[in-house]
Amino acid sequence: MYFQKKRAIAMLLAGGQGSRLKVLTEKTAKPAVPFGGKYRIIDFPLSNCVNSGIDTVGILTQYQPLELNEYIGNGQPWGLNKTHSCAQVLPPYERHDKKSGWYKGTANAIYQNIDFIERFDPEYVVILSGDHIYKMDYDAMVEYHEKNNASCTIAVRTVPIEEASRFGILNTNPDNTIYEFEEKPKQPKSTNASMGIYVFNWKVLREALINDEEDPNSSNDFGKNIIPTLLNAGHKMMAYNFDGYWKDVGTIDSLWEANMELLGKNPEFDIRGDERSRIYARNNALPSSYIDKKAETVNCFIAEGSEVYGTVKHSIISVGCSIGKGALVEDSVVMPGVVVEPGAVVRHAILGENSKVCKNAVVGGAYGPEDKKKKISVTSKGAVVEANTVLLPGDML
Amino acid sequence: MNVMGIIFANDGEIGELTNKRTTASVPFGGRYRQVDFHLANLTAGGVRHIGIISRHNYQSLMHHIGSGEEWGLALEEGGLEFLTPYSMSTTDNYRGKLETLYSAMDFLEFGPENDYVILTGTAIQSNMDMKKLLDAHVASGKDITVVTKAGIANGKKQLDLAVKLDENGEIADMMVDYAAPEGYLASMDVFVMSKKWMIERVKQCVAHNLYHMDRDLVLGQWQKNEASVNIYQFSGVAMYNETIEEYFANSLALIDNDVYHNVFSGHHTIYTKVRDRVPSYYGEGCKIDNCVVSDGCMLDGEVKNSVLFRQVTVCEDAEIENCVIMNDSVIGEGAKLKNVILDKNVTVTPGAKLIGTKKNPIIIKRGETV
Repeated sequence: MYFQKKRAIAMLLAGGQGSRLKVLTEKTAKPAVPFGGKYRIIDFPLSNCVNSGIDTVGILTQYQPLELNEYIGNGQPWGLNKTHSCAQVLPPYERHDKKSGWYKGTANAIYQNIDFIERFDPEYVVILSGDHIYKMDYDAMVEYHEKNNASCTIAVRTVPIEEASRFGILNTNPDNTIYEFEEKPKQPKSTNASMGIYVFNWKVLREALINDEEDPNSSNDFGKNIIPTLLNAGHKMMAYNFDGYWKDVGTIDSLWEANMELLGKNPEFDIRGDERSRIYARNNALPSSYIDKKAETVNCFIAEGSEVYGTVKHSIISVGCSIGKGALVEDSVVMPGVVVEPGAVVRHAILGENSKVCKNAVVGGAYGPEDKKKKISVTSKGAVVEANTVLLPGDML
Repeated sequence: MNVMGIIFANDGEIGELTNKRTTASVPFGGRYRQVDFHLANLTAGGVRHIGIISRHNYQSLMHHIGSGEEWGLALEEGGLEFLTPYSMSTTDNYRGKLETLYSAMDFLEFGPENDYVILTGTAIQSNMDMKKLLDAHVASGKDITVVTKAGIANGKKQLDLAVKLDENGEIADMMVDYAAPEGYLASMDVFVMSKKWMIERVKQCVAHNLYHMDRDLVLGQWQKNEASVNIYQFSGVAMYNETIEEYFANSLALIDNDVYHNVFSGHHTIYTKVRDRVPSYYGEGCKIDNCVVSDGCMLDGEVKNSVLFRQVTVCEDAEIENCVIMNDSVIGEGAKLKNVILDKNVTVTPGAKLIGTKKNPIIIKRGETV
C-alpha cells in the first residue's frame, strides 16, 4: 500500500476513562459522551483537524471503546475516509516482543503506534486529547511551531491563579520560549496553563518516546515525563497562546456548564460558524423536530428528531428526544433518545442517553437554602426514573 | 429476489417550484427532497440498484444525491446511476415514460441481473414497505402490479391512472388522465413487473409508436387482455404533490402528529443529504406553536402551523402562520407572513407583509428579497 507523505498528522488520545463524569462514563469513553444536542466531545478535535487541513488522524482508544469505535467508523462524517485521509482507530494490541499491551500512559500510547505514524513520514505530529470543547486552527499552531524552529510547541491559555494548580503550568521568557514546566504545581509561578495540545517535530518525539520507554521509572506521560525531559535536554520549546473558548468537560459540573454556554443570543461559545469552522458529527436519519400546540420553548436548543409537547426552558434537547405533555424541563442537558413522560419535572439535571423519566416523576431542582450551589442530578445511560418518584438534587441513577 | 429500482425524476410539475429543479428535488417535509422518500422506500426494501431517469433541470438533483453514499448506494456492483439524456445517447424530447425507458435500454439490458423492477414517480410521497409490495406482486402471479390509494379520487382531481374494483376484487374499470369519481382507486405511480417482461413490452410498445406508460402499457395491454394486472392497495399516508395547492396542504398536514409519524418513521426512516447544521435555537421571546422545525434555525419571533427547513432565521416580532419556509431564508423583524411558501434563500425585509390564501399561497422564488 502506498502512503502519501504528510506534513502533519494528528494523534488523538481518546483512551481515558473520564471517571469524574461518574455514571455518564460507566459504559462510554469520555470522548463519546454526547454534547450540545447532536455532537459528541470527540467531534470537536476531529472537526478542528479537518478544518485545519489535517487529514490523517490516529485515534487511540482503550477504555470502553465499543461505542467510540462505532461512532468514528470509517471517518466519513468528517470527510476522513478519502484516498489519502483517514481516521484510524488504534486500540492496544499484542506484539511479538511483548513491548505492548494496555497503554500505560499518554506517551506509551503514542510509542506503541510509532509504526502507524512512520507510514506517513510526517514532519510534525500534533497530539490532541478528546476531553475539550473548543474550536482551534491547528495549522496556525504548526505554522508558528515551524516559524520558530522549535522542537515542541505547547498550546497555553491563561487560567485564574486559584485554578492554576490543577494544570500543567508553563513558565516562559518574553519571547514565549518555555524555560520551565511544572505539572500541577502547588505554588504556580504563572497562569499559563497547558491545554494538552502539543506540536512535535516527529524525529525529536520519536527519539524521546523510545528513550522514555526504556526508563523503568517513567510513568510514560507527556506532562510528567516527555515535556520535562525534552526541556532539560535543551530543546527549544515554545508556548502558543490561545484565547478562544476552551472548556475541559471532565466533570459533571463543567459538562453541564459548557452545554449551557451554547445558549443565549450571544452565547459564550458560538458553536455555529462558517464553512471553515463547522463542527461535523455523525448524523442520525431523523426527521425535523415536532413542536406541539401546547409546547413552550424558551432559550433552548432542540435538535432534529425531537418531539416537544411540554415546556422546555434554558436547556439542551438532543436528537430523538420526547418531552411529554405538561412536562417541564429547565436548566438541563437532555442527551439523545431521552423520554420525559407527561407531567414529569426535570430541573438542573443531565439526563443520560436513552434514559427515561416516567410520568409525574421529579428529577433534581429543589434545593435547600443552606446549599450555596445547586447540585446536578444525573441519570445514566438507559436509566429509568419510575413514575411518581423523586431523584434528589445531586443524586445519580 | 433481485430487484432494480427506477425513479422518474421529472415526473410532472409543481408550479414555480419546478421551474429550476426536477420534481424529485423539490424540498419537502423540513429536511428532505421528494426523491429521498423514494430512495428510502427502495433501499429499505432491499433494492441496491437504482436508476434515476432525469430529462432536464437535474443539476440540483445530482448535487443532492451525489454518489448515493447517504442512502448506502455508493456500491461497486449496482448502486446508483443517473440516466440523463446524454448518458442515454439521445437528446430528443420524450413524449412519455415508455420512450425514456426505451432510451435507457442499455442500462436495463446490460446492467447487473435483476429479476424484478419497481418503477416509481416522485410526485407522490409515502413511507412504503416495498418488500411487502414485491412479495405481493410475486404471489399474485400477475404481469404488472399497480400500487393504489383509496380516498384520493373525488371527481375533481385529475388522476394519471385510476381503477375500480368489483366486489370480488377484480378490476372492473380503468381510466387514464381523468378526474375519476369517488370509489375509484388512484394509482400512486408505483409499478412492479418482471424485468424481462418490462423490456419486452417496452420494445413492443415503442415499435408501435406507443409511449404513454399508464395509457399504453397498463390500460392498453389490460384492455387487450395482453397483461394481467394486480392491484396493491397502500394503507399508509400518501401525499400527492401534483399542484402547488396540494404541495402546500400536504406540507402543513405533516404537522399532524399521526401523519408526521406515518410519513417519517412508519416503516423506515428517511435518509437525506447531511448538512451538519447546529440544533435550532429557540430564543427568549419566541413562540413556536404546532410546527415542524429542522436544524440550524434561529427563532425569535412567532411561528404557528408551519414547516421550517434548515437554517431559517425568524427575527423578533415576526409573525408566521401556515407557511412553508425553505432553507436559509431570513424573515426580518416584525414581518407578517400567512399562507406563504418561501423557496430557498429568500429574504423578507423587516415589516414586510405577505398574505396568501390556502388555495393560492404566495410563492417567493429562490434567492429573492421581498
